[in-house]
Amino acid sequence: MTEDSQRNFRSVYYEKVGFRGVEEKKSLEILLKDDCLDIEKLCTFSQRFPLPSMYRALVWKVLLGILPPHHESHAQVMMYRKEQYSDVLHALEVIRFISDATPQVEVYLYMHRLESGKLPRSPSFALEPEDEVFLAIAKAMEEMVEDSIDCYWLTRCFVNQLNNKYRDFLPQLPKAFEQYLNLEDSRLLSHLKTSSAVSKLPYDLWFKRCFAGCLPESSLQRVWDKVISGSCKILVFVAVEILLTFKIKVMALNGAEKITKFLENIPQDSSDAIVSKAIDLWHKHCGTPVHSA
Amino acid sequence: MAQQANIGELLSMLDSPMLSVRDDVTAVFKENLNSDRGPMLVNTLVDYYLETNSQPVLHILTTLQEPHDKVDTDAIVLTTGALVLVTVLPMIPQSGKQHLRDFFDIFGRLSSWCLKKPGHVTEIYLVHLHASVYALFHRLYGMYPCNFVSFLRSHYSMKENLETFEEVVKPMMEHVRIHPELVTGSKDHELDPRRWKRLETHDVVIECAKISLDPTEASYEDGYSVSHQISARFPHRSADVTASSYVDTQNSYGSATSTPHSTSRLMLLNTPGQLPQTLSSLSTRLLTEPPQATLWSPSVVCGMTTPPTSPGNVPPDLSHPYSKVFGTAGRKGTPLGTPATSPPPAPPCHSDDYAHISLPQAMATAPKKEERTDSARPCLHRQHHLPNDRGLEELPGSKGSVTLSDLPGFLGDLASEEDSIEKDKEEAAISKELSEITTADAEPLAPRGGFDSPFYRDSLPGCPRKTHSAVSSAQGTGANPEPLNSALDRLGPDTPKQAFTPIDLPCGGAEESPAGDRERQASLESSILTPSPFKIPPQRGVGFGGGQPPPYDHLFEVALPKTARHFVSKKTEGLLKKAKGNTEEDFMPSASPMEVLDRLIQQGADAHSKELNRLSLPSKSVDWTHFGGSAPSDETRSLRNQLLLLHNQLLYERFKRQQHALRNRRLLRKVTRAAALEEHNAAMKDQLKLQEKDIQIWKVSLQKEQARYSQLQEQRDTVVTQLHSQIRQLQHDREEFYNQSQELQTKLEDCRNMIAELRVELKKANSKVCHTELLLSQVSQKLSNSESVQQQMEFLNRQLLVLGEVNELYLEQLQNKHSDTTKEVEMMKTAYRKELEKNRSHVLQQNQRLDTAQKRILELESHLAKKDHLLLEQKKYLEDVKLQARGQLQAAESRYEAQKRITQVFELEILDLYGRLEKDGLLKKLEEEKTEAAEAAEERLDCCRDGCSDSVTGHNNEEASGPNGETKPPRPGGARGGSGSRGGGGGGSSSSSGGSELSTPEKPPNPRVGPCSSRWETAVGEPTTGIPMTVGSLPSSKSFLGMKARELFRNKSESQCDEDSLTSSSLSETLKTELGKDSGVEAKPPLNLDGPQPPPPKPDSVGQLRIMDYNEAQHEHS
Repeated sequence: MTEDSQRNFRSVYYEKVGFRGVEEKKSLEILLKDDCLDIEKLCTFSQRFPLPSMYRALVWKVLLGILPPHHESHAQVMMYRKEQYSDVLHALEVIRFISDATPQVEVYLYMHRLESGKLPRSPSFALEPEDEVFLAIAKAMEEMVEDSIDCYWLTRCFVNQLNNKYRDFLPQLPKAFEQYLNLEDSRLLSHLKTSSAVSKLPYDLWFKRCFAGCLPESSLQRVWDKVISGSCKILVFVAVEILLTFKIKVMALNGAEKITKFLENIPQDSSDAIVSKAIDLWHKHCGTPVHSA
Repeated sequence: MAQQANIGELLSMLDSPMLSVRDDVTAVFKENLNSDRGPMLVNTLVDYYLETNSQPVLHILTTLQEPHDKVDTDAIVLTTGALVLVTVLPMIPQSGKQHLRDFFDIFGRLSSWCLKKPGHVTEIYLVHLHASVYALFHRLYGMYPCNFVSFLRSHYSMKENLETFEEVVKPMMEHVRIHPELVTGSKDHELDPRRWKRLETHDVVIECAKISLDPTEASYEDGYSVSHQISARFPHRSADVTASSYVDTQNSYGSATSTPHSTSRLMLLNTPGQLPQTLSSLSTRLLTEPPQATLWSPSVVCGMTTPPTSPGNVPPDLSHPYSKVFGTAGRKGTPLGTPATSPPPAPPCHSDDYAHISLPQAMATAPKKEERTDSARPCLHRQHHLPNDRGLEELPGSKGSVTLSDLPGFLGDLASEEDSIEKDKEEAAISKELSEITTADAEPLAPRGGFDSPFYRDSLPGCPRKTHSAVSSAQGTGANPEPLNSALDRLGPDTPKQAFTPIDLPCGGAEESPAGDRERQASLESSILTPSPFKIPPQRGVGFGGGQPPPYDHLFEVALPKTARHFVSKKTEGLLKKAKGNTEEDFMPSASPMEVLDRLIQQGADAHSKELNRLSLPSKSVDWTHFGGSAPSDETRSLRNQLLLLHNQLLYERFKRQQHALRNRRLLRKVTRAAALEEHNAAMKDQLKLQEKDIQIWKVSLQKEQARYSQLQEQRDTVVTQLHSQIRQLQHDREEFYNQSQELQTKLEDCRNMIAELRVELKKANSKVCHTELLLSQVSQKLSNSESVQQQMEFLNRQLLVLGEVNELYLEQLQNKHSDTTKEVEMMKTAYRKELEKNRSHVLQQNQRLDTAQKRILELESHLAKKDHLLLEQKKYLEDVKLQARGQLQAAESRYEAQKRITQVFELEILDLYGRLEKDGLLKKLEEEKTEAAEAAEERLDCCRDGCSDSVTGHNNEEASGPNGETKPPRPGGARGGSGSRGGGGGGSSSSSGGSELSTPEKPPNPRVGPCSSRWETAVGEPTTGIPMTVGSLPSSKSFLGMKARELFRNKSESQCDEDSLTSSSLSETLKTELGKDSGVEAKPPLNLDGPQPPPPKPDSVGQLRIMDYNEAQHEHS
């Protein structure tokens, strides 16, 4: 790696002491310095290391294709995006689909629907499951990103990525979840099986909404780093880790409904640890991603 | 007799199946019973019942009333009944319990009867009755102690019964010990069926007997333990007796303490009056007999086998026995004669029993004798007796208040004082002798248990002596109290005889014929009164020698093996019981009613026989009258009754005997079983021995096997060692082979290495060869080069040669020429030189040029590379840019897409709104004009043509085309609308208002306009029909959009018009109008459109037009 030469000699100690992200930030800055951003490298980086929060939005936008890799066109493209956003918003306002009272996330939803040509005839339409997913993600994203335009675009592209790129993977995740849970703790899995909770676990929440609403945003964005950078398998490990963390509680519960209910409302305080452990677990089972270059 | 038959008939009718008949007969019977007070009918009924077991009779009998169930005062019946009850009770311990109260009542009544003697009951009967009551008392107390005691308590707590208790019941109670049930049991527990379930009839009898202290009744089954009990109890009992009877005698009959005594006394008191003569006569004779031991011969008692002793035998000296006894007792005092006189049949093992039995006997007899002596010969014997008594009394009296329990010890002390040394010796000798005897006797006794009634057989002369002696020894306990007690007094072999004789009795008692009853009656009666002279000595024995048994007792216990003693004592007890039962407990002088009765019987029999002998037949009647004055018939009846009573007694005793026999049999079974077990044990021991032998054999064989095994082991070891050595050898071989193979392996390895090396060498060589080949080729090339050079050289050499030759030639020529040529040659040389130099420089130049060219090439090449690189960079850059552009384009595209969506949404919205409007408008139109329906249709057509996507723009067109539409009408209508059109063309913003103003008046011509303008018309028409101003104002309000829209709209409309082939004309016309508007009439003729006409006074408008045209054209192109 070219960066290695420029790395701080203290980096070894940083990692030893447990400081993460000191060196990563630097290398990310090096990556971002390029005129034309290397998407692959960014992906690899994002998968390997946690993104510094100051660069997260930028990296996400680049990875999701909201911004082109070229720095030069960023401003222009962003202007386009902004205009598009305001146009659509305006259109919705014009047709009186939304008002000032409409919640932001719903605005995003209508915008999204409008852009995908599925805008219903009246605002009071029944929400479809995918709309719920969109709303959940938008809500989480709203917490993570301040700017509403960024938020809208990130949400939209994130959902699109889920719907297009991961369309084939997502349905397989429950199986993978069972498999890895069996590897990690077969007793827990058997307990789930005996209480017939395996099929009733909140897979929608976990894999379709990518834990939006399940984990607090501070932890969630670390998961989404991985999802956005191209690995939806991390979701499985987060789920496994949740079960492992709350194993005692889950073992104590017997009914499938109780387990599902508990998993849908897990305590938030240990989510950071869960995510860290999940990432470790993910690295352990899937190996640390290496630069393909 | 007739009545009898009648009753028989009636009785037979009683069992008839006819219910009515039966009832009738029953009624008759009852009536009869009520009317007739005689017992005859009842007796008949009872007989009948006993014969037929008829239920109705039973019923009648059970319902008997007053006159018949009244208390029978007949002592015989009562006695019989009581005995039957006593007999039956152990058989029905369970079922009898509900009548317990009745039994107790019976007892109470009979006991009071004994005392009160209602009616004219003879004393003789009372003795029997008393005996039966006594038996009943024992039975009831033995079976139901708690209930009975509580009954006694309640019954005799009443004052009127107190006397009865004192007189009758209390003495009875002295013959029983405290029933254990009184302590452990309760009233209810006694009646518990479980208690009786385990017991058979004879068990119950024995249980009752155990309670009794009466030697005639008591049972000492428990053997060892009982003996201890008894020995422990002994002093107390002796005290008891002395306290009751003995002291009484001292008081000279002041008060009657015990019933037997009192009764006997009463009898004695009565009889003297009746038969004074017989008494005196008999007594004299009888008194003499006892010492000779003929008194207890069963034959004598029965009066059957042996004739009565002749009166001649009777010694005249009445006082002889007494004096003799006294004499011996007084003289000797101590049992001097015991070793000599006491026969072997007094085994020490019986000492316990003996002591037990003998003492009461001795003590019980004491008062009796006194009575007899007193009553029989008051004057004669009192003198004898009194001193005797006094002497007796003096001994304890001298000591003052010596407790009775201390008496034996005290007596013993007295005795020892006299001649302690002698006594000690004697005791030792006795115990030794006795122990020898017992050990000898114990064994042969064992098989004897099997006999049911051994005594009967023993009486036969054929019986073995040994057994007989054993029996007699057993008998001795019962019969020898005196021998041992008063052995000191009895001299000679009398005592053994006395012991043996009762054995012969049993047959006699039962078979007693009533033949000599009458005669014996008198003798019997008199016999009661006969004083038994030997009674006194025992008394003395108690006083002096009788105290000794207790010291013996413990010695015997120590000296003898307990088991043997236990067994033998048990045995003998059984035998003794039998003997007692058989002999009706005769001979033993006892205070119990039984003994009194026994005595009565035996002496009665004795007296009878004597009397018979003495009295001559004719003088009999005289005698009777002479003596008692009682009528003979009366005598006969009483005799018969007595016989009956005796028979009853006999039956009762037989019953007891049977029970004992049953028990014996059971015990025998136990014994045989024990024997069998012993045999079994022996057999087992044999087997054990055999098995031990087997074990020995097995051990030997085991040793053999072990030896063989060790041998085999050794063999195996040798084989193993052999095999081991073989293995070692083989291993060695193997190692050698292994080494060899190792060597070979290394060799192989070496070879391989060599081969590899060789291969490497080969490769090297090959490469060398290749190299050399290459070199060769190079060399050959060089060679060819060199060859060519050589050739050239050769050629040059040849040339040189040729030149040399030429030179030579020239030289020759020169030489030939010589002079003139030198200069020329010189010249030529220089020329050559110059030429050479020139060539050289030329070559140099050429070389230089080559170098430069090469440099140039290099330069160019590098340049080319740079160019290529640049190109690549350029390409990359281009790609980059493309990418960038694409990114932007994508963004733009997405934006465009969004826009499209937005417009779609807008369109949709507008369509929606429009649809709504249309709905409203349609209704109005239908009302207003029918013609407009066609236009609506046209419009719809247009709409279809424009397509959905254009609908929005179409609307815009419509709205925006207001001014344009107005431009057309002027065509037919001339230049009137010119200003309007100009307004539309020039300033769109203001034209709308003007257009609308203008349009209204020109409405009429509209229908005539062609299809292309129909839109405008509708558009025009619509505002009139009331389209809200918002629609129209949309473009105007948003001026920019409106302009744009108008532009777009006009373009579209014009293109449409072109299509309609009216475009050009209309356009030209518009222009014309415009021109016309500007220039008035002048503008009419020209049709050219494009011509930039100079005339236009307002170039802005024209410019605008142009721009529009340009735009139009552009649009058309696009």
